[in-house]
Amino acid sequence: MGDIGKIRIRVPSNAKAGDVVRVRCLVIHPMERIERDAQGKIVDRNYNYITRVTATYLGKPVVVFDLSQSVSENPAFSFALKATAPGPVKVTFVDTHGGTYEGTADIAFA
Amino acid sequence: MAEALTRRSALGRLGAVGVVVAVGALRGPASAGAEGSSPALGLQESVQDGLKRVFGSRAIKDGAAVIKLDIPPIAENGAVVPVNVEVTAPMTPASYVKSIWIVADKNRIPIVAKATLTPEAGQAFVGANIRLGETTDVRAIVEQSDGTLLMARREVKVTVGGCGG
Repeated sequence: MGDIGKIRIRVPSNAKAGDVVRVRCLVIHPMERIERDAQGKIVDRNYNYITRVTATYLGKPVVVFDLSQSVSENPAFSFALKATAPGPVKVTFVDTHGGTYEGTADIAFA
Repeated sequence: MAEALTRRSALGRLGAVGVVVAVGALRGPASAGAEGSSPALGLQESVQDGLKRVFGSRAIKDGAAVIKLDIPPIAENGAVVPVNVEVTAPMTPASYVKSIWIVADKNRIPIVAKATLTPEAGQAFVGANIRLGETTDVRAIVEQSDGTLLMARREVKVTVGGCGG
C-alpha cells in the first residue's frame, strides 16, 4: 500500500477563457470498510478512510466533498469550474488517520 | 440524601461530566470508528432516520426536472458505482446550488457524500464513485442557496454487493 495518497487529476487541455470545464481527480486510498466479527458486531477500531476532499482553483474554493465509508476504494471525484484564468487546480484529501494528500494540475488555455 | 449537593459531590459530578465530554471530543474525527467523522454523515441508520437527522422536517420537493442523476441502471460490481449529478440551475452569487447530497437507501451508511459548492464552479456538477450494498434507490438531494430542497431518485440493480461486512 505504498501508493496511498497518489493523486491523478485530469483537466481538459483545450479550454478557452470563460469555459466551464470538468475536472476529474482520483486518489489511491483503501477507504477501509467496517468489519464485523462472527456475531455481526462491528469491530471497533479506527478505520482509515477519506472524510474530506477540498478543491480550489486560483486559491478559491470550488467544491468540498464530505464523505462516509459508502464511497469506493480509490475514489474518483468530478466537479466543474469556470476557467477564468490560467492557474492551478489544487485538490486536498484528508483521511481519518491524519493523512493529508495534495495534488495540483494547471489549467492552461489552448 | 439530605445533603445531596455538598461541595464534594458537586465537584465529583462536574469531574465526571468533564471526562465524558473530553472522551467525546477525542472520539470525534480521529477515531470515530463505526460512526463516521462528520456529524452529518456516516452513521449506521435507516434512510428515513438519516434524512430526518440531516434535513429535519423541511419539505423536499421533487426535482426530477432539473436534476440529472446519471448512474448505471445495473451495476455488476457494487464496490464501484459511478454517480454523476448535474443540476440545471444558475450558479451566480445571488442564486446557486449550495450542496448536493448523494444517498443510497439500503446501504448501512445511507448518507454517502455531501458536496458543498461555491459559485466559482460555474455549473452544478459533481461526480463520485460510490459503494452499493444491494439493489437500492439512489437519491440526489440538492440544496439551493435560498434553502429549497430538491430530490431525484433512481433505482440501481446491484449484482454483487460492495459494502462487505
